Amino acid sequence: MRILFCGVGAIGSTAAVLCRNLEATLVFIDFDRVESKNLLAQAFVKPSVGKNKAEALKLQLLNLHGVKAEAFGVRVTRDNVAALCANADLLVDCFDNQASRLLLSDFARTAGKPLVHGALAADGTFGLVRWDERFVPDAEDTAGQATCEGGAHLPLIGQLGATLARVVQDFVKHGTRRDAMVSLVAVTPTAS
Amino acid sequence: MATLNITYNGLSSDLPLELDGHVSDGDVRRIALEVVRSGGAPGLHIAHLREDAFVHYVVDRFRGPRGDERIYLRPKVPFGA
Repeated sequence: MRILFCGVGAIGSTAAVLCRNLEATLVFIDFDRVESKNLLAQAFVKPSVGKNKAEALKLQLLNLHGVKAEAFGVRVTRDNVAALCANADLLVDCFDNQASRLLLSDFARTAGKPLVHGALAADGTFGLVRWDERFVPDAEDTAGQATCEGGAHLPLIGQLGATLARVVQDFVKHGTRRDAMVSLVAVTPTAS
Repeated sequence: MATLNITYNGLSSDLPLELDGHVSDGDVRRIALEVVRSGGAPGLHIAHLREDAFVHYVVDRFRGPRGDERIYLRPKVPFGA
């Protein structure tokens, strides 16, 4: 099984680390590079600063026991989404912008690929895990609205990453597609 | 009987709601504002909650495992940007 993590920033890197026990090849896609400030809330280490995020996460996970990982250090576009995602058995959307999420959603619906989204509210107090068949992006209050910045919301990022990883594991092991709402006081399953 | 769940500022509260018929999203926001201000939402009493506190919030509606109606008032998750 090949699981593609699309975007390995705060949510993607956290969820991916918690999927390292799966009998699967974990594939990371991200064009961005690791900055020092990312070490606060993302699963990278100091020697990764300056490296491509996808490549850095792959190298870190290959240090662990029995993990299979691959990396593509590119931006997902309409021209390459099919080539990047064609061999995936599961897509995990952890992008930080709505355009990329919609692009991935369009591809998954056309290609019939299972896709699950994980996302945070801007104030870092709430998150969603939602399968693509129920995915409707919330409208932005202002164009280009920021999601949470830096490491200020790490506990909620951890809770969301763990919930997303659990949903991925349930899909891999049982084929279930469970959604969840995530807050600092509760993780509430909402659909499957 | 429906259940209204309100998530605000990292806290979350469930409260039972008697509904005669369909309640609009605007009504849900107004009800939530009154209940939170009055202390009717367990663990979520904010007497001076701003009038516009829930203006940009999303109303999600689900059916519970026994067919009961569950309404969630939650912050937007703008999926990035």
